[in-house]
Amino acid sequence: MSDALLQVRGIGISFGGLKAVQDFSLSLPRGGLYGLIGPNGAGKTTAFNLLTGVYQAQSGTVELDGRRIERLKPHEIAHAGLSRTFQNIRLFGELSVLDNVMLACHCRGRHTLLGTVLRLSRFVRQEAAMRRRATSLLELFGLARLADEQAKSLPYGDQRRLEICRALATEPKVLLLDEPAAGMNPSEKKSLAASIRDIRDRFAMTILLIEHDMGLVMDICEQITVLDYGVTIAQGPPRQVQQDPRVIEAYLGEPAKA
Amino acid sequence: MQSLADNLAHQPARGVRDRVLAQAPWGVALLVALVVHFVLGPVLGPYWSQVATQAAIAVMLAVSLNIVNGYTGQFSIGHAGFAAVGGFTGAAVSYYGALALWGGATKQEGFLVPGEWLMVGGSLLGAVLAAGLGYIVGLPALRLRGDYLAIVTLGFGEIVRVLLQISGPQLFEADDLRSSGFKQWFPPPLGGAQGFTGVPTYASLFWVGLFAALVCIVAYRIKFSSPGRALLSSREDEIAARAMGVNLARYKVRAFVLAAALAGLAGGLYAHTGVVMQPREAGFIKSFEIIIFVVLGGLGSISGVVLAAIGLTVLPEILRDPQRLIEAWGLLAAVGVLATVGGVAMRRSGSRWAPLAVGLGATALGLLAVALVASGANALMRSATGDPQANIGKYRMIFYSLMLIGAMLLRPQGLMGVREVWDHFRRARPAPGRPGGAAT
Amino acid sequence: MADFLQILVTAVAVGSLYALIALGYTMVYGILKFINFAHSDVFVLGAWTGFTASTLLISRFSISGPPPLWLGPLVLVTAMVVCGLVGFTIERLAYKPLRKAPRLNVLITAIGVSLLLQNVGQLQFPIAPDLALPFGASPKRMPELLPDAALLTMSFGDNQVVIGLVDVIIVVSAITLMLALEVLVYRTRLGAAMRAVSFNTDNAALMGIPVDRVISITFVTGAMLAAAAGFLYSMKYPGLNQPAHEVWVLLGLKAFVAAVVGGIGNVRGAVLGGFLIALIEFMGQFVWARTLDQWFSTSMAPTLRDVYVFAVLIIVLLVKPTGLLGTPIREKV
Repeated sequence: MSDALLQVRGIGISFGGLKAVQDFSLSLPRGGLYGLIGPNGAGKTTAFNLLTGVYQAQSGTVELDGRRIERLKPHEIAHAGLSRTFQNIRLFGELSVLDNVMLACHCRGRHTLLGTVLRLSRFVRQEAAMRRRATSLLELFGLARLADEQAKSLPYGDQRRLEICRALATEPKVLLLDEPAAGMNPSEKKSLAASIRDIRDRFAMTILLIEHDMGLVMDICEQITVLDYGVTIAQGPPRQVQQDPRVIEAYLGEPAKA
Repeated sequence: MQSLADNLAHQPARGVRDRVLAQAPWGVALLVALVVHFVLGPVLGPYWSQVATQAAIAVMLAVSLNIVNGYTGQFSIGHAGFAAVGGFTGAAVSYYGALALWGGATKQEGFLVPGEWLMVGGSLLGAVLAAGLGYIVGLPALRLRGDYLAIVTLGFGEIVRVLLQISGPQLFEADDLRSSGFKQWFPPPLGGAQGFTGVPTYASLFWVGLFAALVCIVAYRIKFSSPGRALLSSREDEIAARAMGVNLARYKVRAFVLAAALAGLAGGLYAHTGVVMQPREAGFIKSFEIIIFVVLGGLGSISGVVLAAIGLTVLPEILRDPQRLIEAWGLLAAVGVLATVGGVAMRRSGSRWAPLAVGLGATALGLLAVALVASGANALMRSATGDPQANIGKYRMIFYSLMLIGAMLLRPQGLMGVREVWDHFRRARPAPGRPGGAAT
Repeated sequence: MADFLQILVTAVAVGSLYALIALGYTMVYGILKFINFAHSDVFVLGAWTGFTASTLLISRFSISGPPPLWLGPLVLVTAMVVCGLVGFTIERLAYKPLRKAPRLNVLITAIGVSLLLQNVGQLQFPIAPDLALPFGASPKRMPELLPDAALLTMSFGDNQVVIGLVDVIIVVSAITLMLALEVLVYRTRLGAAMRAVSFNTDNAALMGIPVDRVISITFVTGAMLAAAAGFLYSMKYPGLNQPAHEVWVLLGLKAFVAAVVGGIGNVRGAVLGGFLIALIEFMGQFVWARTLDQWFSTSMAPTLRDVYVFAVLIIVLLVKPTGLLGTPIREKV
């Protein structure tokens, strides 16, 4: 699988004596839509934090489009093309919806203090370009009419979508979604599933998502990795994973009849 | 979906007119400074001109500190240390420069005399030195969690104060300067505990007005820009900001260095307002005063901080001598009542200027109330202590500290929050990232 | 050699006071994760309460000549109780309503409380002639509660090393208080509750720990330790400056640096840091004094010792930001 866009080999981290994630490996091909599931505390978010540099992996390697990124700082990883959303929404609440997205465009621009203070041409044009790009992204997510609202004033579902929108604004190669459907009702989940597929198709995006909702994951993901106590216990297409006895045990606590 | 680079490529080039218009604010600043100097100055008279000068310097200090404490949500409490670095640099350059060039440091009369340019040069040098020190101090502290910066900057201010205390005695004569050697310059002759005196008072309303306006324009243009959003994002959520590709450490250090430089500039001007520059200018009490401006004005709001700096600089003068305002009670009461009533009527008719009118009326009535209360309190104190000079202005720090605590408990966003005054005149919309971005 | 030992004696005495103050900083930081800026003002309050109490008692009982032995301990307890009450009030009125607020707001409130204490302290509350309560509008001199006696004198040739009674009393009282705190934190149910709240406030509350009460007790304990330090300090250095004087602020800052160097949030680290900072301060002065005075005409060595402390702070922040005994705090994502 050398053509993988995101190639994770055996990363792990432990906090004190607790092995939060061990020997986590993943091979995500270009345009793939993969899922990462597991019971509470299985280490899914920790795995994301390792990939995005919030935590430093104590072992293993991460390769993004042929470039090693496991030693980079979070902002360098974003520049390299890995972007994410957060399980507990982390928008810039006081800033406007538009500013949230424009901030994410920031990392593809060039900025100088002099250009900013003197409003030089490059600055003004870049600022306008960011605005245009951010606005069209917002339109795509149906958030354009809320562009001037404070992010914290948005309803929950819109906040989740704004997070995805913001993550896309960094022009990532791979998008990591941390429980995008958390707190949504079934009909919202259905439309979310559609829009995740849509993002993948429209942007030719490569996506890895964490989700609790088995139905959603089984529905849209091509490959699923199951974590339990930081250990990968199954990996494969949804149908195969669904029937894996270790997965069923991890979720239900004991072997159950299918 | 187009990338940012594609978008940029399709962005039309700017015409000459736009390019010129983008620099218009600098011209406006110059014009404002001239008007303040030649029109407002004579109207105010020497005493209130001096108050206005101090207010303009307070504005510079508050607006610059706001870049760190307001935009990035870091907390520096050593701002006076940077101002003092600039102040003593400016004082030394101006005083010793005048001794060397003209044989004496008496003030040259006139507008834009050579001595004033020496002041500007010295203040800019002070700004550069303050920026350098800001870099050295900020680099280790800004990599860590927020409150370490607080303690390191507090320590920095105190170190500056201690070092100034052990500086050498001031050289007063041109001959002393000429014959001075290593012994006189190491430690530098900054006056030690006695302070540095005799700096010519070149910081006229023109210069402080001009530089205060320039600092505000710089602060404004940074706030409403991509780098400004990066700073604000770090205040909102550091982890998310990093994940979106913002190099926080670099931005924080830059903001800190810029704020230090502007404080140094303000300090340089301050040295030329006729004060004795003493080591305690660098101390924490001065720093706290600047913090009070920023917190009460609203962390992040330029206009709020400007209003707070002006208001809190003028307030002690009113507390000291409320009589003048009380004599103008008719005018204040009339303006207050009319503007308030008019504002309420305007609100009813949906005018967006209603808050301005109400604000004006409330200010006038508030001033009158403050003057009356202060007058009563002063009379009480004078009869109690038998001191004809006693006034409650001396105890303003008690009120300020109570206001600081009260603000945090009741209205933590300060007077304005992160928003600007004019945002209140628009339809409800969040503060930063206003549209346009062309010539503002 | 004699000079060196004499400096060492002072360093140990002052270091034990730094440690006492640092404990208050570190305990509050450990539980609420913010720098209690008003802590150093509680320390000042302790010194001034000591002054007020001893002056009052001396005039009340018309004591002349050497004061009786019970006076010192009585004043110490008074100062601790008064400051404990002040600490309790501060926590309830200013900090408790902000428990869930952003840390910046709490920091600003703490600065406000600090300013308030300093400036209220400059006010004059005349209760008796020549007596201001509780602080002072002008510098005062602490009455002598102890005979200015040397407990131990060692001779080194022509030079002598004097270990004063006051030094011994300071060190013994400070160490007694630290041991009491150690027992409180690590050997009692209350201490276990404190550590639980420090580890995770929400979980502690779920476990039925009365979080508010534990936090209050922590504050009061810290304030009492600071008060003791303030009183003991004023016994060694009887010249009392006005509450907002820079000298006090520098003392408080050094104690804070001690807490950071030892590892903020760590009780044993604060003690270690306190002694370390005092050693560095006085040893730096001792080593550099002659050199500096030879270089410069002015005598700058005593003033410069404040600079060493902050140099140490910056080095520690660069090399080991969590301090000597501290553990890193991990932010939850």
